[in-house]
Amino acid sequence: MDIRLTVNGSQHALSVPPETTLLGLLRNQLGHTGAKLGCDVGDCGACTVIVDGKPVNACLMLAGQADGREILTIEGLASREQLHPIQRAFEEHASLQCGFCGPGVILSAKALLDENPDPSRQEVRDGLAGNLCRCTGYTKMIDAVLHAARVMRNETDHSGAKVEG
Amino acid sequence: MRAFNYVAAGDIQQAVRLLAEHGSEAKILAGGTDLLADLKSSPHPPRMVIDISRTQGLGGIEVTDKGLRIGALVTHTEIMKSSVIQEHFPALVDAAHTIGAVQTRNLGTLGGNLVTAVPSMDSGPTLMALDAWVVLAGNSGNRQMPLTEFFKGPRRTALKPDELLMEIVIPAENIGKPVNFLKSGLRKGQALALVNAAGSLWLDAKGRIREPRIALGAVAPTVIRAPNAEKCLAGQVPTPEIMVEAGKIAAEECKPITDFRASATYRKEIVEVLVKRVLMHAHAQALKK
Ligand SMILES: Cc1cc2nc3c(=O)[nH]c(=O)nc-3n(C[C@H](O)[C@H](O)[C@H](O)COP(=O)(O)OP(=O)(O)OC[C@H]3O[C@@H](n4cnc5c(N)ncnc54)[C@H](O)[C@@H]3O)c2cc1C
Ligand code: FES
Ligand code: FES
Repeated sequence: MDIRLTVNGSQHALSVPPETTLLGLLRNQLGHTGAKLGCDVGDCGACTVIVDGKPVNACLMLAGQADGREILTIEGLASREQLHPIQRAFEEHASLQCGFCGPGVILSAKALLDENPDPSRQEVRDGLAGNLCRCTGYTKMIDAVLHAARVMRNETDHSGAKVEG
Repeated sequence: MRAFNYVAAGDIQQAVRLLAEHGSEAKILAGGTDLLADLKSSPHPPRMVIDISRTQGLGGIEVTDKGLRIGALVTHTEIMKSSVIQEHFPALVDAAHTIGAVQTRNLGTLGGNLVTAVPSMDSGPTLMALDAWVVLAGNSGNRQMPLTEFFKGPRRTALKPDELLMEIVIPAENIGKPVNFLKSGLRKGQALALVNAAGSLWLDAKGRIREPRIALGAVAPTVIRAPNAEKCLAGQVPTPEIMVEAGKIAAEECKPITDFRASATYRKEIVEVLVKRVLMHAHAQALKK
């Protein structure tokens, strides 16, 4: 079937068999391997991408359902010049170990902060509940998301120092 | 995944026509959070997938003269964000919030949750405690029935092969009825219910309980009402003792199974506690009105 969609700002028109998932399309047709294939049934969140502003599991969406939609993957987050503030906070807080869960976690965090720029710790936990991590224990991820939120609200810089205003 | 044909239905008529044409070879796709896992693992996947995720006429939440109408395609996230639902039925927001995690709630629909008809579904109890009915669309027109008649068994509903679930309606007389939902799972996030429960009640002019409803999930082949527990409450002064008693009766009338998540005995104990608590919360809401 024919599909048109926008991925990280670029438009694509391609033809795939109907049983292709959005995850398969992104990884195999477009070479965006940031979204990972973990459980393949919606449990782990490693395949999380943002579709029309909302985080979803790309393993549970058929490519046909993504027709006409706008997708953001982890590849679209940083620019050549700099990392996204959430990525930078993850780096500074040493929030990831093996990194397999990272693209999904970071996109869930981005979707959360886009909607709620000043979340409580509990709201961050809730926003990341669909992303399993086998390495870290989550604490440093939650710290990083809360820190990135402060950076994005211009209340602090990346070192954690208060922004003079 | 095995190969199948795919059509995105533009409107309800086209969807039901396709269902009639392809019969048992066809499957409806809404949010896909249940269906895609099935398609990946089933030895006999359908030949035709009819995608209704963008079909006209199946979305939206609104108050009509019949009651509160929720389109089958409304997602769990949309329920949580709906100001109408927040105002009249915070319990529906609580129930939606316990479903999976953000990603699942963004795709998963209310209709898909009800049609999948697993006993542990989290959207069923609150709706049943509010006497909700469903509207089904078929080639020979629409029909409606109470949710209690829609569920036929584990993963079985009253839908005929050429029908789809169009909308869910909470009757007008129950808009604003005090209701509460609680779920007990092994973890907070991403966990199916060991038991879930909803309770609703009105208070009459003398402060006695009127039209009590108790609905339970994961303790029978479908979501069920607890009629004996309801009877023990009707017309009574709402004391803590009567709510404890209702919990005990509800635990007696449900028929949970033992599985790897919990034993039947444990589930009955949880029923007792949850029923007492949902009644206490619903009562507290009623006093505020
Ligand atoms: C990780 C994960 C966690 C989950 N956690 C929970 C949980 O905690 N609690 C819970 O209750 N559920 C949970 N679920 C189950 C699931 O998300 C819900 O049941 C969801 O609401 C299903 O809706 P859907 O739109 O995705 O359905 P789909 O997968 O699209 O469809 C499900 C079934 O219903 C049929 N169908 C769908 N819509 C219609 C319609 N309008 N008319 C006729 N037939 C229709 C389909 O043919 C299919 O058989 C979880 C799922 C996942 C993947
Ligand atoms: S791979 Fe999609 S949720 Fe695990
Ligand atoms: S860092 Fe290894 S899975 Fe999260």
